[in-house]
Amino acid sequence: MEIRMTQTEDVIVSTEGLTKTFQVGDRKITVLKDISLQIPKANFVAICGPSGSGKTTLLNIIGGIDRPTKGKVFIAGEELTGKDEDFLSEFRCNHIGFVFQSYNLVSTLTVAENVAFPMEWTRKPSAEIERRVIDLLKTVGLENRAAHFSSQLSGGEQQRVAFARALANDPELILADEPTGNLDAKNAQKIVQVLQFLKTNGKTVVVSTHDLQIQALADQVVCLEEGKMATNYE
Amino acid sequence: MSSAGFPINDLIRRKLQTTLTVLTLTLSVASTLFLLLFTNRLGLGIASSKGTLTLGLSGIFGQFSLFIGALIFIVGAVLTSFIVFLMMAQRTRDFGLIKAVGCPNSLVAGYFMTELLTTTLVGCILGIAFGFLADFSTANLVFSRYVTPNFLFAPLVFFTFFILALFFGLRPILKVSRMTPIEALSPVNYFGLTEGVSKHKPISRRGITWRIALRSLYRRQSAILRMVFLLSIVFILLTVSIAGGIIARNTTTSWITNPIDKDAIVIADSTMIHQYKMSLSNFSKPQENLDFNYSDPKLLIPDALIKQLETLSSVDAVDSRLVLSKTVTEMAGFAILGQASSSTVFVGGHRQSKSLIIGVNTAELTGSWSLKGHFLSGNDSEAVIGDSLALSMYVRDASHGIAYSDPLLEGVGLDDINFRIVGVCVDPLNNGFVTYVPMDKLANITGINEPNLLLIKLNASTNPNTVIAQMKSIIQASGLNLEVSNLSSEIEQNTVFLSSTWQTIMLLPLFMLASATICFISFMMLSVDEQHQEFAILRAIGAKPRIIVNISAIQSGIVLFTSFGIGISFGIVITTIILMTNPLITTSTVLLISAWLFSALMAMLALSFYPAYRLAKASILKIMT
Repeated sequence: MEIRMTQTEDVIVSTEGLTKTFQVGDRKITVLKDISLQIPKANFVAICGPSGSGKTTLLNIIGGIDRPTKGKVFIAGEELTGKDEDFLSEFRCNHIGFVFQSYNLVSTLTVAENVAFPMEWTRKPSAEIERRVIDLLKTVGLENRAAHFSSQLSGGEQQRVAFARALANDPELILADEPTGNLDAKNAQKIVQVLQFLKTNGKTVVVSTHDLQIQALADQVVCLEEGKMATNYE
Repeated sequence: MSSAGFPINDLIRRKLQTTLTVLTLTLSVASTLFLLLFTNRLGLGIASSKGTLTLGLSGIFGQFSLFIGALIFIVGAVLTSFIVFLMMAQRTRDFGLIKAVGCPNSLVAGYFMTELLTTTLVGCILGIAFGFLADFSTANLVFSRYVTPNFLFAPLVFFTFFILALFFGLRPILKVSRMTPIEALSPVNYFGLTEGVSKHKPISRRGITWRIALRSLYRRQSAILRMVFLLSIVFILLTVSIAGGIIARNTTTSWITNPIDKDAIVIADSTMIHQYKMSLSNFSKPQENLDFNYSDPKLLIPDALIKQLETLSSVDAVDSRLVLSKTVTEMAGFAILGQASSSTVFVGGHRQSKSLIIGVNTAELTGSWSLKGHFLSGNDSEAVIGDSLALSMYVRDASHGIAYSDPLLEGVGLDDINFRIVGVCVDPLNNGFVTYVPMDKLANITGINEPNLLLIKLNASTNPNTVIAQMKSIIQASGLNLEVSNLSSEIEQNTVFLSSTWQTIMLLPLFMLASATICFISFMMLSVDEQHQEFAILRAIGAKPRIIVNISAIQSGIVLFTSFGIGISFGIVITTIILMTNPLITTSTVLLISAWLFSALMAMLALSFYPAYRLAKASILKIMT
């Protein structure tokens, strides 16, 4: 069923005519073409499509990491286009949890510190941060690795820490860019369990993925092809 | 890929890094060569030439220049080794990548050695060329005539720096050539990174910014320590040159201004005044008339006039002087007091020198001297000699069998009358070739019973012009052909000359500071580059751009302030203890030195923010890639 929604309070992500063009030498490469998308709260959305179809770029724009060449992005009713870097940083910190394909943990920080640091920027009390770090690490099954550095963890463990970090400030929206892309089947299964947990707990999750297990969890699947939205169905 | 083409193309593609490396090497070599040439020209030139500064001042200046020259050479050498080390250590990852795709070890090492040789050679050649150019321009500007520089410094600097650069540049290449591709690709081996996993609490209490900054520093301790070492030497150099220069300038200026009160009025025959002024201006002007007859009776000033002047209420003191030019002789055979006859050590020889002999009345002196020993105490067999006389006549001279010599243990002979030397003073008059003796004794020796020059100290509340007019009318009424003048312009000229001489040498290390600053910025650039992935993660998770600048600022601040502390401490100790004894340090001197050093520190700190600021302004995706 094609989804056609207007922007209401129930919609957490809304994009209007998103277009992204890169200049490579004399050539202009359009990575996203006129993407209009609405994601309701608590939905689990899978973005699929072949490599180079624009999945990562779309997630980056929704997450405020990248800016569209044309079009608008609204997250939780806030328009992100045209906002300055300080605003976007604060917005990401409070409202969006981002999980990268390559984990991207800060190597100079321990596992616990990696989970804690987004909360430190929101100036939460230390006791609350410590409590929440323990809870989150228990959630992803890594409470006994709190004092380790990322270099001492496996890829799957690092990705679970990345999920714990993404949940630190209890954001309304979780974005995950191919979270199982670098993992073996066993570790990928653990990430699927984490995603299942998020879905059960009513989080809005947008995942770009080729993983069929993750796609199976989705309430909504958006398929991209050469930067265009090919299908958008429940 | 041709074996010569790749390194050259690689250097050209990495424009910023290559330019910075070559620029730093060029600046380092150029400034070292220039400073050595210039210091040799200025410091040692002045120190070895008679007739410019007094020998005492020349000695201090020469010692100072030599020390600055040595420090400059060390800074240049450390700077060169550090910049090539950084350049090559930064390539560890590339080395690993090329090895990983199957390039033989020897070929990869060859590529990087070619890059190292090319940049080092270009940097050193350009440095030598610019060094001579800077010397040529400055020498023409500062000195009245251009003297061919000492070309021997060029091969010394070129080969020393080239070998140092090769040695320190080859070390990371050889190290990485022994690594497997995986090791070379690991960040642990990148940019001197050493993994430091100490026992951390799961969640540290320190702020996130400090935590990341400090741990990143700790993990790059080998590079950080090298940088701290380099900057410490730069700050030592800066402290010695700025603090030492200011202290030395003030101290030596006081030495040359104190003997003559700058507000003193001089009364003498016009030819005598001219001769005296010329004799006082030897620092910056040609010498006085060597055939001037000081004993000419027409130069003498009658006692009646002196008494008349002393009665003026505006006059504090009348310093009567009998100035003569004579040959003085070192009195040989002086024994060190208290020695037993069997162990008596005889000092000195029969050395002679031309000197101005100044007879003074100790009770009427208008000036004061910086002395080793003490000034005339009223005993008529005492003499005080100038530093140039002491350093030319009273030094150990093995070629003449003089194994020991000390002016304060010896005597000076004048027309066969001996005086015991009780003090050695710094005096600009006749470039320090002066001998002060009691006026009465000099009168006895020469038969000249009247002074030929009066220095008059006026009451501070008096208008000098009014008093000069008054004195002129008294002299006119007495029917004497005497002139009334003051010596302020001659004293001013000496002060300006001395100040500018010190200032020139104080400015020299600024070249080194510029080189070190560029090197430090290169270091911070590499440091930021090495952390770019983590900075991108922080930004993506919600860190504001200023957090990146803050982390970098903490890192550069720690490196700079540590180096500053070490450099300043050693610099001050070296300056006050080794270079200058009895330094003149006032509150304003301390403030001036602090202002200069603090400005240098702040300028370096501000410039070191640039790489992080540049990164913080870039988009997150750009930083990530």
